[in-house]
Amino acid sequence: MGEETKTKILREVRKDFLQELLKKGKRFDERNMNDWRPVEVQKGAIKSAEGSALAEIGGTKVVAAVKFGIMTPFPDRPNEGVFMTGAEFVPFASPGFETGPPGEDAIEFARVVDRGIRSAEVIDVSKFFIEEGKVLGLFLDLWVLDYCGNLMDTGSLAACAALLDAKVPKIEDGNIVRGEYVGGLDMKYKPLTTSFIKVGNHFLMDPSRDEEYAKDMTLTIGSVEGKVASIQKSGDAGLSKDNVLELVDVAFEKSDELRKYL
Amino acid sequence: MNIERIVVPGELIWEQEMRVPNTAVVDGKTYAAVVGMVRDDKFIPLELVYKAKAGDNVVGVVTDVRHAGYSVDLGLAHDGFISSKFTRVSFKQGDLIFGKIKFTDEVGSVDITDAKRLPTGKLVSVPASKVPRIIGKRSSMLNVLRDGSGCSIFVGNNGYIWVGGKGNVQLALKTIDFIVKKAHTQGLTDAVAQYLNENGGAVTVPPKDAPEGAMPPKEETKEANPLMQPAAEKVESGQEQAEIVEKTEKTEEKLDIEEM
Amino acid sequence: MEKPELIKDGKRLDGRTPKDIRPLRIEAGVLNEAEGSALVEWGGNKVLAGVYGPRECIPRHLSDPYKARLKVRYTMAPFCSPGEHSRSGPNRRSIEISKVIREAFEPVVMTHLFPRSQIEVYIEVLQAEGGTRVASLTAAAVALADAGIPMKDMVSAIAVGKLDGQVVVDLGKDEDNYGESDVPMAITHRGKEIVLLQMDGLLSREELAQNLDDAIEGCEKVYEIQADALRKTYEKEERGKLKL
Repeated sequence: MGEETKTKILREVRKDFLQELLKKGKRFDERNMNDWRPVEVQKGAIKSAEGSALAEIGGTKVVAAVKFGIMTPFPDRPNEGVFMTGAEFVPFASPGFETGPPGEDAIEFARVVDRGIRSAEVIDVSKFFIEEGKVLGLFLDLWVLDYCGNLMDTGSLAACAALLDAKVPKIEDGNIVRGEYVGGLDMKYKPLTTSFIKVGNHFLMDPSRDEEYAKDMTLTIGSVEGKVASIQKSGDAGLSKDNVLELVDVAFEKSDELRKYL
Repeated sequence: MNIERIVVPGELIWEQEMRVPNTAVVDGKTYAAVVGMVRDDKFIPLELVYKAKAGDNVVGVVTDVRHAGYSVDLGLAHDGFISSKFTRVSFKQGDLIFGKIKFTDEVGSVDITDAKRLPTGKLVSVPASKVPRIIGKRSSMLNVLRDGSGCSIFVGNNGYIWVGGKGNVQLALKTIDFIVKKAHTQGLTDAVAQYLNENGGAVTVPPKDAPEGAMPPKEETKEANPLMQPAAEKVESGQEQAEIVEKTEKTEEKLDIEEM
Repeated sequence: MEKPELIKDGKRLDGRTPKDIRPLRIEAGVLNEAEGSALVEWGGNKVLAGVYGPRECIPRHLSDPYKARLKVRYTMAPFCSPGEHSRSGPNRRSIEISKVIREAFEPVVMTHLFPRSQIEVYIEVLQAEGGTRVASLTAAAVALADAGIPMKDMVSAIAVGKLDGQVVVDLGKDEDNYGESDVPMAITHRGKEIVLLQMDGLLSREELAQNLDDAIEGCEKVYEIQADALRKTYEKEERGKLKL
């Protein structure tokens, strides 16, 4: 009896019960419909990285780390630095996580967080050019340590905090001088995501793990300064155009609340 | 005498050999094998892995339907099994059940008997070591929980708990959380009654804690085990639920728990 | 890089005396989902261990009818070293370390109580500064106890060695690379059984004997901190609080 099958069965069990609660306007825990769970951000959590943060939303914990390295540029962008996002679902983070290379969920997670940051154009990769054939690469790693629901938003929060914490290393003679820095990334905006799950006819933001068992679909909206920077819909069910626009409005408001923790 | 200390694996508990679960005997002395408390010369594990044994109550989820019977997820290394031969109820995948362990064997199989389907409700999982506290001496804690929240609650020794009914489910869940966090403290039943009252509950039954240090009565009542009767059909009405609750309490009284 | 002078006037690079252990902080029950967990912060090392089990043995055909199968996975995150960003995924070194850590727990974990199942220990090195394998083992022992997995004894680990002719305890940054010998060791608390022992470099018989004694003594200090971390979990109200 694999974890996946158990998850599917538990999903039906929780869905019925959650829908009954939702009719009365309640969620499993005692939140209002549009409340964040408790949030904590610890910047500089990893001293070996040039920027880092541990972010926690309602028990879900993600460590984001920024490392710089010298790389050859992409052939179609020879004068730009490289920005790459990787993610790992560490096996102890959830009974359902397996060892091995990142699966489709981990890959989607990394790419969606990356997209929100890239669209907001907060990292100026043109500043990372060193000399012909050599550019600075920024490696952003998202390490999921504890999965209690809503990975996307916790990951984005950790990523943004780590980028804000990051210090760009000094380059001398085409090499990185470890331990010496020339300043931060000077980010103009703080890109964050806000995620919603659909349960029957209700949309719940910041779903807990229990609530995620009952979901029909997820919508993640990345935003900066009143603009939409990324959208990702995942899961089986569909939603209406009005739904999307309503959720965008909520996302603008709610991500601002989250920015206070940065 | 109330000397209390927390021991870790490998720490000495008794200078002689004692056959107690979650301990290890080496050279005639008994050592803790898990983190636990030594109080009044008793060893109480604070963290443990549940080991299924005959007579235990369990709560689980039906995960597979086969001709021979049903597989039930109990949160353990192996699924439990309800044999078609010993049940008249038809279960389907996803049903929540409450039953009793008929027998286990040395390779970890768990056979469940007297399984009853539970109506829609919330399933939570608590560490197995905390289950005795959630039940309490002669179900004292469980009674306070049910009374104060107005919910139906079924507790499996395997650590799964079902909460349902028309009462304040969120309060019941919060209180279970509270008990789990405070499991190692004393006077907990009173603290829980207070917690319930402070948070919107209404405890009407005074907590029935036996006086400190007394041993629970060892009456082996001859009354027929109510759960051994032929399984009832689909339980939906409040009346039938109340009957099950009553029968469960009687059974739990007999499956006694260590003094805390 | 030129080899630094590792001991001068009885003081090591970071000011420690030969027998001093780097600051060691251990917290148990730091994760919500994992059944048992522990954070070890030892000098500049930050290691997280998480435990699941006993649970279903996968793959089924590898399950043992008489006992639980122990699985240990030690990995270093790509951002854990102050130098280059490394590739993620297992490498030869991490596979060997996973094996010796698993074997260290085989004699103590009471696996015969859980036939046909598996107990998994996952160790993630988030920050590395010399002695990650002993920090990992120390964390794994606490995580196993935190999960309620019965063990006959508690295991503690430390790395000892030789720097500039002097026998020292708890090799730190640069010391394990530039020293003359590196001896990681794990010992059970009650039985004083050595359950992990590796060595590289050159040592005389006397020096090795000294190292073994020092390691036993050093492990006692580590044990006290592990035991403390486990006892403390019952005083604090919240599980799942992680502060790196």
